Amino acid sequence: MDLINNLKEVFEIEGKIKNDFQIEVEAKKELVSSILLYLKNQHGFIHLNHMSCVDWIEDEIFELVYIVWNPNIRKTVMLHTKIDRNNPEMENIDTIWDQANTYEREFREMFGIEFPGLVAEREFILEGWTEMPPMRRDFDTKKYAEETFATRPGRENAEDVRETIVKRTGEEIPDFAKKYSRD
Amino acid sequence: MSNKINTIGIPTEEEIKKAQIDFSPRCTSAGRVNDKETQKMVEYILNFARKHSLFVLAYGTGCGAIEIPATMTSRYDAERFGIRGAATPRQADVLLITGYLSTKTLKRVIRVYEQMQDPKYVIAFGSCTINGGMYFDSYNTIKALDRYIPVDVYIAGCMPRPESVIKGFIKLQELIKDGNAGNGECYRDNLDWYRTNQQKIIKNWDFPDKYNW
Repeated sequence: MDLINNLKEVFEIEGKIKNDFQIEVEAKKELVSSILLYLKNQHGFIHLNHMSCVDWIEDEIFELVYIVWNPNIRKTVMLHTKIDRNNPEMENIDTIWDQANTYEREFREMFGIEFPGLVAEREFILEGWTEMPPMRRDFDTKKYAEETFATRPGRENAEDVRETIVKRTGEEIPDFAKKYSRD
Repeated sequence: MSNKINTIGIPTEEEIKKAQIDFSPRCTSAGRVNDKETQKMVEYILNFARKHSLFVLAYGTGCGAIEIPATMTSRYDAERFGIRGAATPRQADVLLITGYLSTKTLKRVIRVYEQMQDPKYVIAFGSCTINGGMYFDSYNTIKALDRYIPVDVYIAGCMPRPESVIKGFIKLQELIKDGNAGNGECYRDNLDWYRTNQQKIIKNWDFPDKYNW
């Protein structure tokens, strides 16, 4: 509780306690790097657990979540922030934690979020990708897969494989399997 | 006179057709002898030897690679069928495609396949290589492997247990014994078709134009 009050005093942001181990905080995107640096230096949240991105396509928002951990008091702070989906741009935090560089590269490739000042190769996991970033929800993966990859035609009838095998070999369907039968 | 001289060295069309019926065109370049009976004998001995020493390239492409240690170790002991690992593509006979294959890995797999020496066999492993499996709508995995490299045996299952893996190998041994396995020559003959399919999905194409097979 002290931590949340302290954050409210310093940054004027909203927060709540989820359970004994997790604290949830929401902030504007301009404040994120200051809050993370403050948590790291003043409160001992020295470990960046995870960064993730959620695509709220209906609200035209990308939600970024930063999860940091304090090993002494064993508590986690989850910092949420929302950025515009049509012009996605976020502050680079790999000066605070080096491992953030990898997460940010992934966001840039999979969601198309730009991080000004990020020094890294543009190509990360995908090779020679020319389409829209594939983790965005308006990217139709099934349509893309059908257009790009050769597929094998499937079965046309909907016969029960088990019964077909039974008819061919002359065995009997065991009792425990009869309740799954289609007849 | 001139007609006679011509007919000695060059086989007529009928003779060529007969020869094609007698031997399958695949994988017969190794011990080619003019005499047909001798050729059959040589083929039989060669295939017998190949069948009992299948060196598998130690290269796992997907989640299916986890079944290989179980197949190789003491419980299922694949070495009693002559199946064992090989370190490099040039020493290997069999390429196992274990599970899903992303477009990025496909590029490496093609390079590996083209480096292997004849006779070379491909076993495709799991339902992902057959029709995409649970990745049927993925933007990054291929759905039908035989469009990109020739495949000898498919093993169905997700994942196939070590018993089915060994059964797949035994099927391959039967094919080798009958002289029906090994698609290296087929791949070289239809290289254009395979190349068009491969280039359709591999965008940053930087393969060498020609290999000295």
